[in-house]
Amino acid sequence: MLGAHAIEVGPLGMLAINISLLALVGWALLRAERGLPDGREWTLLAMLAIFGIFGRVLLEPLPNIQPVTVLVLLVGVHMGAKRSIALAAVIALGSNMLMGHGLWTLYQALGWSLVGCLGAFAATHLNTLPRIAGAAALCGFLFDWVISLSILHTLGPSMLPAYIIAGLPFDLLHAMGNLFFAAWLASPLADIINRHQGVTLEATENVQVTA
Amino acid sequence: MWGIVSADNRLKALSAIWLVFFVVSASAISHEWARMTSELVSEEGEPHYGLPDLWDGQQVVCIHFPDNSSHPDYSDGRHHIDYDGTDFMTDSDSNATGACVGGFSGYENGFDLMLDATNVTGGKLEVGYTVSEWGPYVQSIGGHEPTGNAYWALYHDGAMAMVGIGDLVLDEDSVIIWQVDTW
Repeated sequence: MLGAHAIEVGPLGMLAINISLLALVGWALLRAERGLPDGREWTLLAMLAIFGIFGRVLLEPLPNIQPVTVLVLLVGVHMGAKRSIALAAVIALGSNMLMGHGLWTLYQALGWSLVGCLGAFAATHLNTLPRIAGAAALCGFLFDWVISLSILHTLGPSMLPAYIIAGLPFDLLHAMGNLFFAAWLASPLADIINRHQGVTLEATENVQVTA
Repeated sequence: MWGIVSADNRLKALSAIWLVFFVVSASAISHEWARMTSELVSEEGEPHYGLPDLWDGQQVVCIHFPDNSSHPDYSDGRHHIDYDGTDFMTDSDSNATGACVGGFSGYENGFDLMLDATNVTGGKLEVGYTVSEWGPYVQSIGGHEPTGNAYWALYHDGAMAMVGIGDLVLDEDSVIIWQVDTW
C-alpha cells in the first residue's frame, strides 16, 4: 500500500481544507435548492441543518466561530420560532454526534432555540442588514452565556460571574464570526426562504385572505 | 471608490477584515484578558497557593527577599511576572515581598528554569552563582547576597529541596521558591 494518507497537514492547511469542504457543501446545497420546486419548506430546513452541522464541525479549528447561531437567527426571523427550535435541536445533536455528545448538547440546543425565538420575536425590527448583523453579534454573547449556565452543575453560582468574565474574549470571537456570517448569508438566505415559505409562514397564518 | 460601495457591501468587507483580525490576534487577546482577570489560587496546601490561577499546571519560580533587605523594584508586595516579562499582578497582602515568574512548561531541570525565569526580568533578578563538583551554588539573587549564617534556601512545591538546584528534577507544575534562611 502506498502511504499517501501519511502526508502531514499543519493546522493552517487543515483549516484551508475544511473551509474548502464547507464551500463545496454550501455550493452543492445551493445548487440542489435551485432544483427544488417552490414551497419545500421542510426540505430547505433539512438542507440548512446539514449546512449548520457541517459548518460547525468543519470550522472547529477556529475558536468559537461557526454559522449555526446566524442560521437559527435567520430562520427565526423568516420562518418563525417553531422551525428555528427544530433546526437548533437537530444541529446541536447532529454536530455533537461527531464532536461529542453530553449534557452540553441540551444547553446548546436551548441557547440556539433562544436565539431563534428572539429572531422570531424581533422579526419586524430586523429588516435591514446592519440590524440583523448587530443582532447576530449580540446573540453570540447571549448564546455563550446560556452555555455558561452548565457550570452550575459542577460549580456554585458564585463562580458564574468569574466564568463569564473569563470567557469574554471567546464570546467576542463568536460575535465577530456571527457578524461575518450575517453580513454574507442574510440576504441570499432570505431570498431562498421566501421562495419556499408559501402560505405556511407563521407570521401570516392568522392573516385573513380575501378574494 | 469606497464611497460608491453600498453600505451592505461595506459591511461584508469590514466583517471579513474584523474576523481575520480577531482570529489572528485571538491568542494574544485571550492571554492578555486572562492576565487581567486572573485570581490568586486560594486552596491552602496547594503548591500554587497564592499564585495567579493563570499559571495552574505550569512552572513558577518565586524569589522572596528578606524583610530588612527588600528588592527596590519589588518592595510593595509580591509581583507576578509572566514568561514574557509582563508584570501583571502585585499581591500587596502577601507575607513576602519579591517576585514570582511563571507560565513556563517543559523544563525538567531546576537550574535551567531558574536562569530562564530570572532572565525575563531584564536583570532585576540576576543570579550570581559558583559551580563546584556538587553543581551550581546560588550566592546572590537580584543583587542580594546573604551574609553570616544566612543563605538562599531552595524550596520545591512547598518543601525544602533535598538536592541542589542543579539536580532538581521538575514536574510539569513545579513551584520553586528561593528565600533567605539561616543555618
